[in-house]
Amino acid sequence: MTSAATTVMTAPDPTAPAAARSPRTAYWLVAPGVIWMGLFLVLPILMMIYVSFWTQTTFKIEPILTTKSWATFFASDTYLSSLWTTVRIWLIVLALTLLVGYPTALFVGLFVRNKTLSTVLLVLCVIPFWTSFLIRVLAWRPMLGKEGAINIVLQALGLIDQPIEALLFTELSVIIGMTQIYVVFMVGPIAFMLGRIDPNIIEAARDLGAGFGRIFRTIILPLSMPGVVVGAIFVSVMVLGEFATSAALSGRKVNLLGNLIVTQVGSLKWAFAAVVGVILTVLMGLVVAGLLRIVNLRREL
Amino acid sequence: MHSTILRPALAVYTAVFVLFLYAPFVVLAILSFQAGPEGGPQFPITEWSTYWYRHIFGLTPPSRVAPLPIGEGLVRSLTLAFMTMVVSTLLGVITAQAFRSRFKGSGVVFYLVVLGMMVPGVLVGLGTALVANTLGIDRHWWGTAFVVHVVYTFPFAFLVMLAIFNRFDSSVEEAAWSLGVSPARTFRKVTFPLIFPGVLSAMLFAFTLSYDEFSRTLFASGRDLTLPLAIYGTFSVEIHPNIFAFGVLTTLFSFSLLAVYAVLMGLAVRRARRVAVQEDV
Repeated sequence: MTSAATTVMTAPDPTAPAAARSPRTAYWLVAPGVIWMGLFLVLPILMMIYVSFWTQTTFKIEPILTTKSWATFFASDTYLSSLWTTVRIWLIVLALTLLVGYPTALFVGLFVRNKTLSTVLLVLCVIPFWTSFLIRVLAWRPMLGKEGAINIVLQALGLIDQPIEALLFTELSVIIGMTQIYVVFMVGPIAFMLGRIDPNIIEAARDLGAGFGRIFRTIILPLSMPGVVVGAIFVSVMVLGEFATSAALSGRKVNLLGNLIVTQVGSLKWAFAAVVGVILTVLMGLVVAGLLRIVNLRREL
Repeated sequence: MHSTILRPALAVYTAVFVLFLYAPFVVLAILSFQAGPEGGPQFPITEWSTYWYRHIFGLTPPSRVAPLPIGEGLVRSLTLAFMTMVVSTLLGVITAQAFRSRFKGSGVVFYLVVLGMMVPGVLVGLGTALVANTLGIDRHWWGTAFVVHVVYTFPFAFLVMLAIFNRFDSSVEEAAWSLGVSPARTFRKVTFPLIFPGVLSAMLFAFTLSYDEFSRTLFASGRDLTLPLAIYGTFSVEIHPNIFAFGVLTTLFSFSLLAVYAVLMGLAVRRARRVAVQEDV
């Protein structure tokens, strides 16, 4: 991987430059894959950008270029608030997956020195991914509802008198659901990086009298940063592109950009949907580029 | 490591964390045994029964709860997953094979392929629907949805095969060639058995990811729904424990795929070991 591409999100030219220097068979072998990705990934994304400038009439779109759909988006409070909701939920879920996931990664990657046990623990974390995504989302309904498991348990413990109604069909339920669904993508990369720390370094620091807090700040945290960044990229891309969790758990109260796209397509407003899609793409590109700035992954990995 | 408090504290935390990951599904599984047809999708369980499981298979007398519309969706999803598995594994193997030799532009190709698993499904689905509309192509699960499924699963197959080829000793192939074995026969007799575990993993990834794929399929498939789309359709209306029972069944199905994979993998490893023993003798 010699090219110094700094962002993952910018679509590269699908026609790879042909060089006579290298074996020609390699080009024959990559051609089918490159053509497939060019036709069915790059072309659709370019089409989306193009269509965002088409003219939207009530039921169809015409290839007459205009910026009207863009103006509509930025003039509408509904759309702008949906952009803000997306950013807010992304930030909250990103912070929560990091906070909730880091201690587990610390235990699995650093404190369990037995390779078999740490593999077993990681597999245990990954197994829920073997169930359907939609079922995992739906499983939160009987957990969070007014008569849900959490309320029943809290009431049985005597911690609350009245069931908490704010758990389901609110922004909170979307955040809880997304955190549980995506936290493993944070745990995996961090645990991987922590597992590569040479125990002798920590040993040496301790012999020199450093407490755990100091060791964590000066050794463990910096060395785990590439894992944090990779995990943050995974979580960010997935949360920003979400719509199913918010649709199923918020009772249509939380409208992310993804939900906007679904509603717009549902009412055949293809040009508006494309505008939202482009904004989402740009947002994601900025986030990934920003995260890659924090750590030079090419050097660290 | 050090600190007598930190270690047990983190162990307890990890246990709670695993509980957090599993609790929703456990609750869902328990509630799938709710009494029917009057039992709701919440506690308490009025009476333990397998009513909702029988309900899925249409073995219960008609009630106010409509049966899940999953029969045709299941067939479509399995067919689609199979098609996706074959094509993306094939693409993954040949693309990774190309990466064994250094060639100019390999970085661009690498990012182009990996982009397929990074771009959110809703964007790929929307773009594909727009292209199909503009070109006047009808959207179908076996057409437009199929190609975007491959866009999604091909990178996984590619990365798995790349990891396999990285650890691959190419001198065994060269030995076969220098002995005058044709490239096709070398691939069949030498290369393929060595990369078989990788191929199997790529197939498993592609099949399960496609079988469960939802956000790409939503816009890219036409009127005929795949299984996840049919399930999503029931979300908007009131939910009943039959969808919980379905969740348990589809999870069992995924686990049985995993079991088949484990058995095949075990056989492959054992065969490789036997070959190695023969060589020693």
